[in-house]
Amino acid sequence: MNDETFLQERVEVIARFSQGHQPCYPVRFRRASGREIEVSELGLRHPLPTGNKTIHIFDVTDGGADYRLEFDSERLIWHLTMEADHYEAA
Amino acid sequence: MKQHNLERPLIMHIDLNSCFATVEQQARPMLRGKPVAIVNRRTEHTAIVTASYEAKAKGVKVGMKLREARALCPGIIALESDPSKYRYVYHKLLDIMRDYSAHVTMKSIDEGVIDFHHTSADVRGRDLVEIAHEIKRRLREEIGVWMRCNIGIAPNRFLAKTAAGLNKPDGLNVLTSHNIRTVLGELRLIDLTGIAERNQRRLNAVGIYTPLQFLDADVVTLQRMVFKSVVGRWWYDRLRGWEVDDVSSDVKRVGRQYVLERFDLSYEEILGRLHHLCESVGWRLRSQYKSARGVYVYGKTRERQYWHSSTLSSLPFSSDKTIYILARQLFEQAPDQLKEIGIHVYAIEPIIDQQLSLFSDQIVRERQVTGAIDTLNRRFGERTVHSAHTLASGLYVSQKIPFGSTRYL
Repeated sequence: MNDETFLQERVEVIARFSQGHQPCYPVRFRRASGREIEVSELGLRHPLPTGNKTIHIFDVTDGGADYRLEFDSERLIWHLTMEADHYEAA
Repeated sequence: MKQHNLERPLIMHIDLNSCFATVEQQARPMLRGKPVAIVNRRTEHTAIVTASYEAKAKGVKVGMKLREARALCPGIIALESDPSKYRYVYHKLLDIMRDYSAHVTMKSIDEGVIDFHHTSADVRGRDLVEIAHEIKRRLREEIGVWMRCNIGIAPNRFLAKTAAGLNKPDGLNVLTSHNIRTVLGELRLIDLTGIAERNQRRLNAVGIYTPLQFLDADVVTLQRMVFKSVVGRWWYDRLRGWEVDDVSSDVKRVGRQYVLERFDLSYEEILGRLHHLCESVGWRLRSQYKSARGVYVYGKTRERQYWHSSTLSSLPFSSDKTIYILARQLFEQAPDQLKEIGIHVYAIEPIIDQQLSLFSDQIVRERQVTGAIDTLNRRFGERTVHSAHTLASGLYVSQKIPFGSTRYL
């Protein structure tokens, strides 16, 4: 169908907080393997309310693959939850 | 003979193009320019909910089975729907629209109407075409560069929607008495919102085969011969730009349906899925502060047979437990070989605390338990507390995109 890999990987993220329509923009993240990924575009940021808690979901790309980062606004931690490095015929 | 409405067009209809597929392409840049299909479940038999323009260009249509789509477009990428993403975009669009008027009506998760009749003088003083371009630009800036929408401007809701359906994607059209004949001349009857096959047959029966003939038909013909009711008058006015669709409807029923993930499920497993649907329906019902008195269940078999049964209670109810007890009793008569099940509750009324009877103790207790469960689920997330019977079905019967109504977004 396509090459999505679903994960629950803790990652370290450098994010820029600023004014404007994208107040939080992940710039770079480091995976558990030590590999660093430079974000070239933030596709969409959307909140996922989970009861009283909100998880912020960032769909980003480095130009070669799409990634989904999730920021737990209560625990202040980031997870990489999806990687799709290319898409094949369904 | 009633003339066309000649007032300045002040109704704007906004329709996000291939909404869910476009949102996915926005979120995942690697998907842009590729044929994408959004499905509720990645199986061979699943139906396509939305297709990207790249997929539509290859002949893929909404409602088509994924397997058929793959035959037409071998490179199609199927993605499971992600309702939280679409809900976010819906709210962003709504926020943008409300910046221009307090009179905004969302028709579904991906389209809405702005009525500029009663907005501020500053906004009304502006050219609506300029505002439309501004909304398109804001969509790209505030949601993302891939977002596109079609906008129609007209004197009434029907013509504005018709205008929004032209020149997809990213179109902008104004439809007034000046160009209505040109526009309708290029459409088919079934291109008009509200004219499906049945109404088309009715019109054909009196010699009306095109939208222009429909426009030229007199009100008596439409009222007495075609629609045989006041609906004929409404169509006569609608086509001339007079407003007949500015009406809000009350909740008449609340329901959910589910296509079984496998066709070899046991009766008990199907009951688990039915129970899950009942919990969803109860949650939605109570979120509107409503109760119901009727339950309707249906099933579709693999042989395309439709079975249904319903019951009407004298007392109103809103708890998941009561809905399921009634639904299960009805479901005992369901046929074998089911491939789809559904339930809705009807005879909807507001929850009134005073409305108690001889069974008041039991009703109060049930209401308190249900209220406590709802509080926990609101605080810790949907389905934190639910029946043990639906443990196994949670993976499959998750909430999908609510088409039509925007009450639960």
